[in-house]
Order: sequence, then C-alpha cells, then structure tokens
Amino acid sequence: MTRRKPLGTFVHARSGDKGGDANIGLWVDQSTKADERIAWLTKFISPDRIKELIPEAAELDVEVYPLPNLGAVNVVIRGLLGDGVAASTRFDPQAKALAEWLRSRHVSITENLL
Amino acid sequence: MSAAILRVGNCSGFYGDRLSAMREMLEGGDLDVLTGDYLAELTMLILGKDRMKDPTLGYARTFLRQAEDCMGLALEQGVRIVSDAGGLNPASLTEKLREVAGGLGLTPRIAYVHGDDLVDRVDELGLGKPLTANAYLGAFGIAAALRNGADIVVTGRVTDASLVVGPAVAHFGWDREAYDELAGAVVAGHVLECGAHASGGNFSGFRALAPDSTPIGFPLAEIAADGSSVITKHPGTGGAVTIDTVTAQLVYEVQSQTYLGPDVSARLDSIVLSSDDENRIRICGVRGIAPPDQLKVCVNELGGFRNTIEFLLTGMEIDGKADWVRAQMDLALANRPPATVAWTLARTDVDDSTTQEGASCRLRCTVKDEDPAVVGKAFTAPAVELGLASYPGFTLTAPPTPGTPYGIYRPAYVDQATVQHTVVHGDGTTESIPAPTRTTHSGRTGRAAGESPPRRPPTW
Repeated sequence: MTRRKPLGTFVHARSGDKGGDANIGLWVDQSTKADERIAWLTKFISPDRIKELIPEAAELDVEVYPLPNLGAVNVVIRGLLGDGVAASTRFDPQAKALAEWLRSRHVSITENLL
Repeated sequence: MSAAILRVGNCSGFYGDRLSAMREMLEGGDLDVLTGDYLAELTMLILGKDRMKDPTLGYARTFLRQAEDCMGLALEQGVRIVSDAGGLNPASLTEKLREVAGGLGLTPRIAYVHGDDLVDRVDELGLGKPLTANAYLGAFGIAAALRNGADIVVTGRVTDASLVVGPAVAHFGWDREAYDELAGAVVAGHVLECGAHASGGNFSGFRALAPDSTPIGFPLAEIAADGSSVITKHPGTGGAVTIDTVTAQLVYEVQSQTYLGPDVSARLDSIVLSSDDENRIRICGVRGIAPPDQLKVCVNELGGFRNTIEFLLTGMEIDGKADWVRAQMDLALANRPPATVAWTLARTDVDDSTTQEGASCRLRCTVKDEDPAVVGKAFTAPAVELGLASYPGFTLTAPPTPGTPYGIYRPAYVDQATVQHTVVHGDGTTESIPAPTRTTHSGRTGRAAGESPPRRPPTW
C-alpha cells in the first residue's frame, strides 16, 4: 500500500548552487527502517522523477548520484540557474530553498516506510 | 598543540557571516587553529568591484575588523588563524593586518599565500576578458606558512577545504601522496567550510533539534593523524552536531560521488559517519585518489546591468490584471526592449482572505541589458507612469532604482603547473609551492582515440 505524502516526511534535503547548476542532496531519516528507506530513496530518485517534481528542470540535464553510505542521493540540475547567481532572473537564484520545495512535493510512499 | 589531535575551528562560512563568531570560537573552548571562509563565486565579483574602485581593496573587510578585535586573544592562546579573506588582494590585507597589529602593540607573524590570481595572464591562458580569474589553490602553501611559524595566514582563492587541510598537513607532516589522510581532512574541511551549516543551521530536521534563540555554535573538527575526525562544537552553544546535520553539509554543493580538489580527490562514497557522544560525530573511512592534472578557475565577467520591478496585484481577476500591465509595459518598452525581459507571477493570493496581504501577490519583471540606461529610467519610468492608468489597486512594492551591474560566473581549467602557488612568509621571504607530481588526467585538454571519455570537471 502507498500513501500520498510530502517527500520530506522522512527525507531531509539541502540545496545550493555551483555557477549555473543547482545541487540537491537528499538523505533519509535513519532513526527507523534505515535500510528500507535508503533502498527506497535510491530507487525513487531518478532524473525523470526530478523532472516530474521540479517541472522547470524538464528540459535540463539532471544527474543522480547515489551515496548509500550516507543514506543519500545527490542530484545535480545543469543550467537551472542560468548564468549563475549574479545573473540569474530566477526567483531563488542560488537555489537555497529548492530542496525545501522538493521536500514539500507530494509523492507515493510505501506505507511500511512511514 | 597536542600531538595526537589537531583542533581546527571555523568562524565564517561567507562574507557577511556572524561578526562575533571569531571571538566566540576563541573564548568558547580550546582550539589549535581557527579558520574562516569568506569567498564564494559571487564574493569574488563583489571584491572585483571593490578593487576596481580602489586598488588597495579586494579583500574581506569584515575579517580585518574581527582580527583587530581578536588578534591579541588568539596570540595569547596560541591559536593560529587561517583565512581566505585575502580574496583578490592578500598582500594588501596583510599590510593592513600589520598596521592593526602595530596599533595594538602586537607583533604576530603574518604570512600570505598567492598565485591564484590569473587576471593578468588571461590572454596567455585563453580566459577571455574577465573582471576576476582565480585558480583554486590547494593546502600546501598554507601548510608551508604554518611550518615557518606563521601566527596568521591569509590567502587568495584556495579551496574552502584547504583552510582546514593546510593546518593538518603542517601538524601531521603528511606528504603529497598521503591521499587517504588528505581526503579525510578535505571531508572535515568541507563540513566546516559553511560554518553553522554543520551544527544545525538551515537543517531540514530543525524541529528535532528543539530550536531556541541561542545562537548556533560554529563547528570544529578534531583531526587525527590518519585523517579521521570528530566534528563537534563548543559547549553551551546553540544548535547540535548530529549525523543528520553533518550529512546535510556533506551533500551540499557537491556534484558527484567524487569531491575533486587540487591536492586529492575525496571519495564521498567511502565516508563512514558514527555518533561518538552527544554533539560529537566521527568521520572515518575516507579514501582519496590522486588529484586532477588541472585546477579549476573561478572566472567572473561583467555581464551587464539588471533591474527589477514588482507590481502588487490584489484580490479578484489577478490574471487579467497581470496580462494588462504586461501588455502596457511591453508597448512602452517596444522601441528598445532590454535584451532579457523575464516576467513571473507567483499566485500567493488566497481567495476571500481576511488580510490584505493574504489577498495579494507579486508580478515581477526582471530585465537585463548591456546598456545601463536601458534598464534604468527607460525601464522604470514607464512603470511609474502607469500609476494612475492601469489595473485597479496598482502599486509597486518599492521605489524605482537605477540598474545594477551583474557578473557572469563560469568555471575554467588550467594545468596545475601553470599556476605559481607562492607563500610570502612573515619575514618577507618567499617560498614556491610545486604542483603535485602525480595527477589523474582530467580529459579536458583533448584526448586520443581509445581513451576513456572525459570525466566531469572539478567541482569544489
């Protein structure tokens, strides 16, 4: 059984910028069901999933790097911030709050992970 | 310094970070070295603009104020200070620090590290015509300065982690190929480089930390001879150091599983975190490999000028109001439109709101152009002139302003050996820091058939 819940229900995240690219590190709360949650996050986060949850990334290159030793997945969105922080016209030019937006998106989560 | 463990603190994660943090870190507990990072891609541009106005500027001025307040205390405690606050002008910052020290009756040994600034070599290196161009140097210049007895080391653009790796190299005597030890210190440095980020700042699980108004303590690393470390903070400070707060910083602004740097590439997929005690997180297991044969260069060009106007839209028919004012502005700008015109409307308004602010949203227009006049009055006057002649409830969120210059950041790459990494010691002698002899091919300078495809460029 799955339930629609914010991704941030048990997934932490922090985002930032490197020039015109945005980075989002996601990792699971490992206080319970650590192994299952890590396996779920690693499988769940893919370039297509990021494009679905962050529609403005749909036309961009998205890279996903698993870091299971940290219970984490690192996401890089190439070009989201245009020419970089000083030149971007984006609402949040340094992508500081991008991760909090992503955490608030509702996704289908297997019930036994909650 | 105790032989077995080196205690390295951080008191700054950016230019503008908590001014009192240097004193807090010195008074709050034992340290061997106190580091501070003041430079970001954007900061180099800000310092570049400072230097254009006054060639003796181009360093982080807040560091000078902190040093004036804390230099005596640090010297008394034997805490060495290592900072990249030199920015585009470490020599000038060093001179200013000596003046400050003289005024206080102190005689610290101050060294600086330079060679990162490539702005005078851009033609030779094919870097275009930038305002700033700085290679990210490694840790061995800082280490040489400390070994020579420096009390204070200021640098230009070094990698953020080098501020922590340099003291560890000086203390433990690691050689250039002690990759696992270096990588361990790089990871500790990466955790410390953003200050309170590692100790509960901006952490998505903030509610679990029972946040109160106590200022979050800045982090410190207790580094061991094998490069492993414990991340902690001074007792009684706010925030917390947990596996989650350390992970939050480990995954911040990294670009793959390998954290490339000028001295070593650290394998992020080898890090093992464990909880030692309350507010004590151990980092071990970090593996390192030889660094790339090229250094990353932070290049900032003057991009042009920009300006923004925000229209406040309230109540009913928001879309219709937005469409109309956009059409009015488009017509007014039609003769010479700015090169970039970007409109955004975020529908933050709530239906049937019991507050006026809740019923409102902002329509934002950002323009960019190489001509300051085009984004100045030529852009703002049409908006102002609509004041009595547009949608109902017309108002702007701020008075019109002139356009401001903006930069464009891009990374570039140069061979390690092209950069003259140099230390100027406190006695005026200079020491040249050779490039690493063992490197991995980074694949950006062309490749022969049959070689593997180029890797991603360095990403620190």
